[in-house]
Amino acid sequence: MSMDRREFLRSGALAGAGLAAAAGLVVRDRLRQEARDPTGSETARQLPAPPPAVSGLAEDSLLRMQRELARAMAKPAEQRRWVMVIDQRKCVGCHACTIGCVAENKLPPGVVYRPVVTEERGAFPNVHLKFTPRPCMQCERPPCVPVCPVKATWRRPDGVTVVDYDRCIGCRYCLTACPYGARTSDFGEYYTDGAAVGADGRAVAGPRGPWEDQANHEYAKRWNRAGRASPLGNARKCHFCLHRLEVGGLPMCVTTCIGRATFFGDTNDAESLVSELMATHNVYTLLPHKGTQPRVFYVA
Amino acid sequence: MKRYLTFVWDCVRLSFVGDWRYHLWMTILTVVALLGLYAYCQQLVHGLVTTGMTDQVSWGLYIANFTYLVGLAAAAAMLVIPVYVYRNMHLHDVVVFGELLAVAVITMCLLFVTVDLGRPDRALHLFRRFNFPISMLTWDVIALNGYLLLNLHICGYLLYCAYCGRQPARAFYVPFVFIAIVWAVSIHTVTAFLYVGFGGRPFWNSAIIAPRFLASAFAAGPAFIVLTLQIVRRVTRHRVTDDALFTLRRIMQVAMIINIFLLGCEVFTEFYTDSAHVASARYLYFGLHGRSALVPWIWTAIAFNLLATFLLVLPASRALRTLNTACVLAIVGIWIEKGMGLIVPAFVPTPLGEVVEYFPTWGEIMVCLGIWAFGLLLYTIFVRISVPVLAGELTYEKRYGVQAP
Repeated sequence: MSMDRREFLRSGALAGAGLAAAAGLVVRDRLRQEARDPTGSETARQLPAPPPAVSGLAEDSLLRMQRELARAMAKPAEQRRWVMVIDQRKCVGCHACTIGCVAENKLPPGVVYRPVVTEERGAFPNVHLKFTPRPCMQCERPPCVPVCPVKATWRRPDGVTVVDYDRCIGCRYCLTACPYGARTSDFGEYYTDGAAVGADGRAVAGPRGPWEDQANHEYAKRWNRAGRASPLGNARKCHFCLHRLEVGGLPMCVTTCIGRATFFGDTNDAESLVSELMATHNVYTLLPHKGTQPRVFYVA
Repeated sequence: MKRYLTFVWDCVRLSFVGDWRYHLWMTILTVVALLGLYAYCQQLVHGLVTTGMTDQVSWGLYIANFTYLVGLAAAAAMLVIPVYVYRNMHLHDVVVFGELLAVAVITMCLLFVTVDLGRPDRALHLFRRFNFPISMLTWDVIALNGYLLLNLHICGYLLYCAYCGRQPARAFYVPFVFIAIVWAVSIHTVTAFLYVGFGGRPFWNSAIIAPRFLASAFAAGPAFIVLTLQIVRRVTRHRVTDDALFTLRRIMQVAMIINIFLLGCEVFTEFYTDSAHVASARYLYFGLHGRSALVPWIWTAIAFNLLATFLLVLPASRALRTLNTACVLAIVGIWIEKGMGLIVPAFVPTPLGEVVEYFPTWGEIMVCLGIWAFGLLLYTIFVRISVPVLAGELTYEKRYGVQAP
């Protein structure tokens, strides 16, 4: 088992080159990288101007938020600070936000970004219901981000924690880390699986409804689960409808709220409705003792 | 190099040679492993929807088995420590079997993690965007693969030396043995740290998990090895003394008692405090809101563990039959307690207060059985090869009539 010098040098050079290449990859990975923005670097753009307030009538909060949104989107991403304020006194528990979100993001069964938690309180006959809509808290110190083994999730400069579906390996470690249960995993379910079968066992509507394979526009990209493509198998979460913000639309849950109980805006804008609400109301956050510093505030 | 290839070739050849019992056993394992592979293909096509896991309980049987097996692998160190640290030579001849067990079991662990991935096609992202040292999962990747390499090196080197008919050079394996001992403790500690670092999962958020992992591993591991060694000495010509088994019995005695003590500490802290955080433990031991799928399991586990401890401390367990009973009880008890009993309750109730129960599907169970069969297959092959090689019945010299250079 002897090796001549030429062979030794050759194998040494090969091993060295391999090592250097590996080290280069590792180092490149550790270098400071610019904040990645999955919705593109273009932030300032011409957004449709909402109609001016009708004098004499109280302006709809949606119109005001729409106007403020256009103002915020004209700024670079790192100067915006999105928050959501949810007024539980106004929430009627209709779940329109949950359904609106499912429709907007084409969520399959089992994946819900914004459920409404219903609590029964009191004893008959003195009972009442308390509703707590629960989007992603977009924590300032998100426990779900550091645990990701492949750096597939991060917090954007405007405060939204995002997932890169092309990187996520689906280990569901972030689901475990989130104390709010705000992360879900797309296990690959379809609404029509086993549903479109008649009482006699025959298929009624074919194997799969065509709407099941429609692309969503999360993160301003087209994602289509057909053929086992992402986001099937990935971790998925509420992203404050970044793709809608980019085109001047409020998050779907804000727009569909029939009680006008959900507010959205930029706290860096002191004039905004959310800044006003946070200053004038006794807002609270969920599980403050977990130290996550949520960016979703509740008024109760 | 050529000699090494002949060694590998001889090993492959040898793994196909045996009597009818050996062939039957291997056939059964292969069939079960292939069935598991089939079930996994189903999962690959349809997604994790073929499993019983949900958003609420997002880890299940796979991670449960993984956790248990990490302990089993770590326990190989329990054979090595007496030999190399305390110079207790009863176990000297069986050290290699322990380390081979570690190799087979770590392979199973890696398979269990892989089948749990929602997008296994991206598993290689681990190489390109390794979030080390922030994510504990990356620590576990390093710990497990490092342990696999260490044990592969030690066993491979010792076997190859025996094949060449020369004395192994201490410098080539003894340092690795000592590293492997520390590493064995680390794999289980790191695996415990996977779970304990979450404020949102109070059931796991406890410093006692890591020591309990080690205690239970050092009970279940030797128990498994005691049974294996008896099978080895029954079906092969390899001599395993009763003294070796009784040394392992002593390790199990201590480990089981510590494990039960730590369980008591945990149960007291949870239930006497009786804060909102007790909900998971209450679900596990007594059921919550009428949901109690785990209750019969965990009480079986506790009964088995108590009985095993009781048997082990009695002098009666110096009889092999009693010792074997205690071993089986300990293996099953700890498998339940550290698998489903540890992983699932942490997800119940959910942060939103839902009580969603987890039931594994048949597909999931088949994948698990397949991986277990594959692990046993590997281990059988390892033992099949190492017995004649270590006994000096299969050497380069005997095969080719020339002394290895």
